[in-house]
Amino acid sequence: MKATATARWLLRKETVLRRVRGVRLVTVLAVGGLSLAVAAGCGKPPAKNASGGSGGGQYKACMVTDTGGIDDHSFNASAWQGMQDAKAADSSVVVQNTQSSSEQDYEPNLTKFVQAKCDLIVGVGGLMADAVTKVAKANPKQQFAIIDANVALSNVYSMQFNTAQPAFQAGYLAAGMSKTGKVATYGGLKIPPVTIYEDGFAEGVAYYNQQKHKSVKLLGWDEKSQKGVFANSFTDQNKGQSITKTFLSQGADIVLPVAGGTAQGTASTTAASNGKQSTIFVDFDGCVSASTYCKTFLTSVTKGIAGSVKDAVVAGQKGKPLTGSYIGDLKNKGVGLAPYHDWDSKVPGALKTEVTQIGADIESGKITVKSTAQPK
Amino acid sequence: MSSDEERPGGGPADPDGGAPGTGTETATAPAKRSGPRAAVPGDAKRTRTGIVIDALTTANTFTVTVLAIVLALAVGAVVIALSDQAVLDSMKYFFARPGDTFAAAGHAIGTAYAALFTGSIVDPETLNEAWWGMTSWSSVLSPISETLTYAAPLIGTGLAVALAFRAGMFNIGAQGQAMMGAIGAGLVGFMVPWPPVIGVIAALLGGLVGGGLWGLLAGWLKAKFGAHEVITTIMLNYIAAPSFVTWLVTQHGVQQPGRNDPISKAVEPNAQLPHLFGSGLRANLAIILVVGAALVVSWLLRRSTLGFEFRAVGSNPNAARTAGISLNRTYLLVMLFAGVLAGLGGASIVLGNTPNAITPSVVGSIGFDGITVALLGRGRPVGTVLAGLLFGALQAGAGQMQVTSQVPIEVSTIIQSLIVIFVAAPALVRAIFRLRAQRVGALGQNLAKGWNG
Amino acid sequence: MEPGEIHALLGENGAGKSTLMNVLYGLLTPDEGEILVDDVPQRFGSPRDAIGAGIGMVHQHFMLVPVFTVAENVMLGAEHTTGIGWLNRRKARRDVAEVSERYGLRVDPDALVEDLPVGIQQRVEIIKALVREVDLLILDEPTAVLTPQEIDDLLDVMRSLKDAGKSIVFITHKLKEVKAIADRITVIRRGQVVGAAQPDASEDELAALMVGRSVKLTVDKLPASPGDPVLDVAGLAVVDDRGQRVVDDIDLEVRHGEILGVAGVEGNGQTELIEAIMGLRPAIGGTVRLNGRAIHDTLGHQYGTTSDILARGVGYVPADRGHDGLVADFSVAENLVLDTYRRPPYGKGLSLRPTAIRESARERIDEFDVRTSSYTTAVGTLSGGNQQKVVVAREMSRPLELLIAAQPTRGVDVGSTEFIHGRIVAERDRGTGVLLVSSELDEILALADRIAVMYRGKVLAVVGPDTPRERIGLLMAGVTGESAAEETDE
Repeated sequence: MKATATARWLLRKETVLRRVRGVRLVTVLAVGGLSLAVAAGCGKPPAKNASGGSGGGQYKACMVTDTGGIDDHSFNASAWQGMQDAKAADSSVVVQNTQSSSEQDYEPNLTKFVQAKCDLIVGVGGLMADAVTKVAKANPKQQFAIIDANVALSNVYSMQFNTAQPAFQAGYLAAGMSKTGKVATYGGLKIPPVTIYEDGFAEGVAYYNQQKHKSVKLLGWDEKSQKGVFANSFTDQNKGQSITKTFLSQGADIVLPVAGGTAQGTASTTAASNGKQSTIFVDFDGCVSASTYCKTFLTSVTKGIAGSVKDAVVAGQKGKPLTGSYIGDLKNKGVGLAPYHDWDSKVPGALKTEVTQIGADIESGKITVKSTAQPK
Repeated sequence: MSSDEERPGGGPADPDGGAPGTGTETATAPAKRSGPRAAVPGDAKRTRTGIVIDALTTANTFTVTVLAIVLALAVGAVVIALSDQAVLDSMKYFFARPGDTFAAAGHAIGTAYAALFTGSIVDPETLNEAWWGMTSWSSVLSPISETLTYAAPLIGTGLAVALAFRAGMFNIGAQGQAMMGAIGAGLVGFMVPWPPVIGVIAALLGGLVGGGLWGLLAGWLKAKFGAHEVITTIMLNYIAAPSFVTWLVTQHGVQQPGRNDPISKAVEPNAQLPHLFGSGLRANLAIILVVGAALVVSWLLRRSTLGFEFRAVGSNPNAARTAGISLNRTYLLVMLFAGVLAGLGGASIVLGNTPNAITPSVVGSIGFDGITVALLGRGRPVGTVLAGLLFGALQAGAGQMQVTSQVPIEVSTIIQSLIVIFVAAPALVRAIFRLRAQRVGALGQNLAKGWNG
Repeated sequence: MEPGEIHALLGENGAGKSTLMNVLYGLLTPDEGEILVDDVPQRFGSPRDAIGAGIGMVHQHFMLVPVFTVAENVMLGAEHTTGIGWLNRRKARRDVAEVSERYGLRVDPDALVEDLPVGIQQRVEIIKALVREVDLLILDEPTAVLTPQEIDDLLDVMRSLKDAGKSIVFITHKLKEVKAIADRITVIRRGQVVGAAQPDASEDELAALMVGRSVKLTVDKLPASPGDPVLDVAGLAVVDDRGQRVVDDIDLEVRHGEILGVAGVEGNGQTELIEAIMGLRPAIGGTVRLNGRAIHDTLGHQYGTTSDILARGVGYVPADRGHDGLVADFSVAENLVLDTYRRPPYGKGLSLRPTAIRESARERIDEFDVRTSSYTTAVGTLSGGNQQKVVVAREMSRPLELLIAAQPTRGVDVGSTEFIHGRIVAERDRGTGVLLVSSELDEILALADRIAVMYRGKVLAVVGPDTPRERIGLLMAGVTGESAAEETDE
């Protein structure tokens, strides 16, 4: 055919325009789905320990974190520390935790532990109070505990901490140590477990001014109006840095961050000042939990969550009923002021004595901390 | 975007072909045509089995989605194994006894995924116990109940994104719209001592209005001033939460008495959504409502004149405008509807779940998760429901994984994200499973589109 | 293919001309078969291979960077560098000057491409290929975007290339040009070579080969019997998206039962004129009346939306069907009701009536001979001609007062063109006024009862259908002779 000759330079065959097709490779797929060990037979299962508990003499303590997560360098972490301490103290204790990614998760996480037959379920954080109340009501035989809230149910052990007391001491100390006459504080969120520190701190500063007729100023919190500076985060270190820098530029030289992991931002900022500025850590002894910045920690206001949780778990394991409310204060050493560590030599002896005396006065009732955030 | 599903009266091309008057072949080659139509080779000879095998081995939407899930679970398995202490311990002497590592990994993965299943679908052990009367039947339903509870808000926001998507708009604002929905529902829910039934309806309406207005605002900014919805909706998200809501719930009369933190009063019990399987299980009316909403959206898109306009504008706004469809009206309506759907999602949380109150983080991240749900659902209502259920199951199962095998919840987030990544990169899935390219229409186009709308 | 030969490749749209050439140019890989260059089999994995073998291509859509100069565009992809990596601009400019000189392709090497008219841009494409020393040049539908004068110039260039010993493959579906220049003609239909012809074959013979049956190239029509004016445009001024006044004081009148052809090279304000009439674009001055009722009044107020204007009996076939006429993802059936879905019987209240839509789709597909496997097929998968038929079917399936048809047969094959032309004339004979806008002078001459020539936003003249095409060609280029001006009497 003539046409073929004409197109010889084009292509040898005429039908060139078949679809350009993809590689035809038939792979027959056996998508079996998840092979779950479901088919274990359908015989009647053996009866389980009806009274709950995992049997075998084990005591199963389970903890639900709030949205801060297990590594929050704050109360979730301390509670978990307490659980592990209990496990170390008594080999029959097994511990578990589950993390909540949103407020919606509190209730199902607590419920799952009920179903997992935990002996004790610990909810961490005041924001979980509603969920604990609800699940505890629905499971009256299940033992619960909650940290930083008071749930008035017979099967819930409420653990609260009057950190206003040691914060009062810290306020007095800060006022006494400030060269600039200005100290500062900020919170993570405006919730009672945070503002209680700030209240106590404010009262401590005020007490110093009253005793010494000075006028050390507190930035970042006003106890009367309950207004102040908040990072709106327990994790954002950058936020902590920027807030701290603002305080420092306003003349403050000692900062009390009550904001979990955000406080690291404050520590790193004051640490850069060669000892001119300092941070007061909260919840833990900062020289232990954030030891890199130890040189900048004047002291720490400690909250004995770990110890209290450990005590509760051990008591539960021993079969003691956990009910009512525990309030950690200076007297029962549930809260306190950490050692001065690197600053020990820089704090005048007289001031140290006064701070200790204030502690004793609070214990004895001679000084009354007024914060309304204090647990009752 | 080409699917028979959405064609009016279309339906998938009739596989039997040529039923008189209705078949697909009738229009192809009447005698008066001059030449034979260029038939796709082999088309006529395809048998039913052939079609099925074809469907499974071609990179069509369904196959790619399923395989994307399989792949994501596979990668998730590696992460689980690597985060397991026993596996890590045995790896220290891997070359001496590799079997230990594999056994440990197998155990870790097995228990984790078993927990994922028992936490979201059904626990065979509980089922067995219930059969023998050792436990209540409601505990058998517990995993499903959890899945449905997590899925409902996701489906709401997923629909909000999907609907806008079909109209060519990228609604990043489902988060803010859900927040406003939660606020609307919450305010109505606690302001008045409601009688039963009416309370629920009123509070829901409050949620729909709250979300709808927030969506409408973005639509109005686009229609009136040409502001791109991606920008405006992101900004409106920030305004809704944390700014507006934090201010609102710390106001006197809104804040829960005796609380210092940002939380509103609790919604009246009569305004709360009724539970589906008894008060012991969390599943509530929300899931029914969002599935109903999905059906409405499906009807809207397929069978209504409005939906026709939405799809036309989404697919080719120029042609739509030329055909007399008002773009501005479409922008307004689409964003209003999208806001209503997201508002339903947000309202369902406040009215359905503890603490039944407005807080700045009450809606979690359902608005952003809704984007992934809509993407996975390919912008289709039914797909969105299925994707929402899947993600709900993954979230419910993640809790169980944590409880029984201490797998961090992040694994579930990784799996969810991977699914969407694989779905968005069909070529990758095709390459891994050596699928043939689909004949018509590029897959994934769906996901890439919409940004310039 | 011999050296120094112009070989025309003729075929309808979708016949596979472009695919074949893309294979040749290395853009696609053949499933089977071989390409022989100088009797040596070749395998082109990319255009680079093809250029290496001496094959160059000028695409239908130019592949130039608008903000680069001519010389920069020419050197793009084959940058000469001096020893240390500087771009050798001087050499590029010299190359351009030399090639322009040799083949009579006058181009300023330093002009920015975006400032050049389309015809000159095409020259740049040709120079690009020639600088790479190709022996075989493929021109893919090169005349589609050119004015009649530019087409003449291009044919001259092709002749001089041929004289210089270059071979040219000339892809087109325009029979006149083929006859004017080709040495040899190959006709392709549905991917097959269906015949070869000599340039002396008649246009009818070539068309028959292309379509596979005999076609009529002229439109049979009776003289028009115009009635009352249906569309009255007076002093209309419109600005484009950039604020340029692209329609400037235009007066037009379309009567019932006549076809007014608007001739002109594209981009002279035709699109904006139509968009203003359709209510898609505001008027900044002048009036538009439909059957005596205003669409735009002198105060700049617009009465009714596009939807209302359509409902008043206007049918609109937009110039760019892919952009404005069709929703590619939608099915044929949906596209057929794209502007009537709201009205009975297709829609009632909020609800669509799928049965009615389906029924009507079947009828339209039959009546307009739309070749699709089903009414559920996505329109985007149809060939250009069939897509156009869908638009035409939609706009001409309801009682019309006025039909506005812009480029109604662009990219449409001969067979479909014949059909669409017949429908337009039939619509006229039914008493509808037709405003036909086309840049194809042949189309205007074949259909119009009166011809308005647009240039730079103005109507230069309204002339009768028997005006010599040369004069209209000159008017389209903006040249108004004395005689042309005399006939501006409308």
